[in-house]
Amino acid sequence: MKPFLSWKGHRWVSLVLRIYLGGVFVLASLHKIAHPGAFALDVATYNILPLALINLMALCLPWVEIISGGLMVAGYKSRAASWLISGMMAMFMVALLIALANGLDMSCGCFASSSMSEEDAISHLTILRDATWLLMSIYILIFDRQPIGLETIIYGKRG
Amino acid sequence: MKQAYSTIKKSLVEASVLACGASVIALAVNIFHPKSIPFIATDAYETMVPCPVQEGHVTPIAASASELVEKGVFLVDAREESEFHKWHPKGALLLTYDFLDPIPPENIREMAKRIAAKRATKVLVYGDGANPDTGELLGIDISAAGINNVFYIKGGADALKAVWPKQDGRLK
Repeated sequence: MKPFLSWKGHRWVSLVLRIYLGGVFVLASLHKIAHPGAFALDVATYNILPLALINLMALCLPWVEIISGGLMVAGYKSRAASWLISGMMAMFMVALLIALANGLDMSCGCFASSSMSEEDAISHLTILRDATWLLMSIYILIFDRQPIGLETIIYGKRG
Repeated sequence: MKQAYSTIKKSLVEASVLACGASVIALAVNIFHPKSIPFIATDAYETMVPCPVQEGHVTPIAASASELVEKGVFLVDAREESEFHKWHPKGALLLTYDFLDPIPPENIREMAKRIAAKRATKVLVYGDGANPDTGELLGIDISAAGINNVFYIKGGADALKAVWPKQDGRLK
């Protein structure tokens, strides 16, 4: 197990995953930040949060996404970013499962508002996609011990 | 092991700090955002999510079809009670279709009992014959509730009345 954990290739695999996953989160956040009202409506459509928390969630979540995604791409505090992304993915999956269990025929709201992405309807494939991203994030969390990126440049770590 | 625990703890603390920092930035940005929203929503959002589609299956059948006089047919009237009392085939069950309220489950259970008691193998539903036809809609709901072999009569009660068998059981 130990040789596998210390395999130097993890850094490079993680780099690819970090750029991909970080990019996805940065892209996903842009529309939500630009149109908080539309995203709040998407959050409300899931019918999970109490009214008092809907706007706070709609305002804060995209900024957590863009900051964690940006740090993931940059390779700075990528473990902390991985925790955040893993947590968000788990949360999204629970929300999707509840929505599907309730028979809601709605847009995911993951990348744009419902009105702009009618083809992005929630389904079991959406959950599968999120599960894949969650696994990628967990991989980075476990194996990317000395990330290639800003952190290496600043602190001079070597793999 | 201790080092791993320490690393996890450190990264979790960093994640918490990042989340808090991001939230503070988010709230600050919202103050100056051209499309800002209140931090706490006061009015409920009007979410327009379509209701789950009933997946019942109902087959149209012509009022002149000979199945009407077959044994094992159970007739259901989807019209208003007043219309039902003006005319209805003998043995028909009144189950008025409501566009707003679903059929109460106890009514479905009662109907299922009657179907079983009559040893019926087909359920024929008729309604007002309008567009949409209450007979068809009720048939879909009945089928979605788990009752099989549901048909609706095209043209509704008027079409059925026109061909309803005389005493000898033959169609007009």
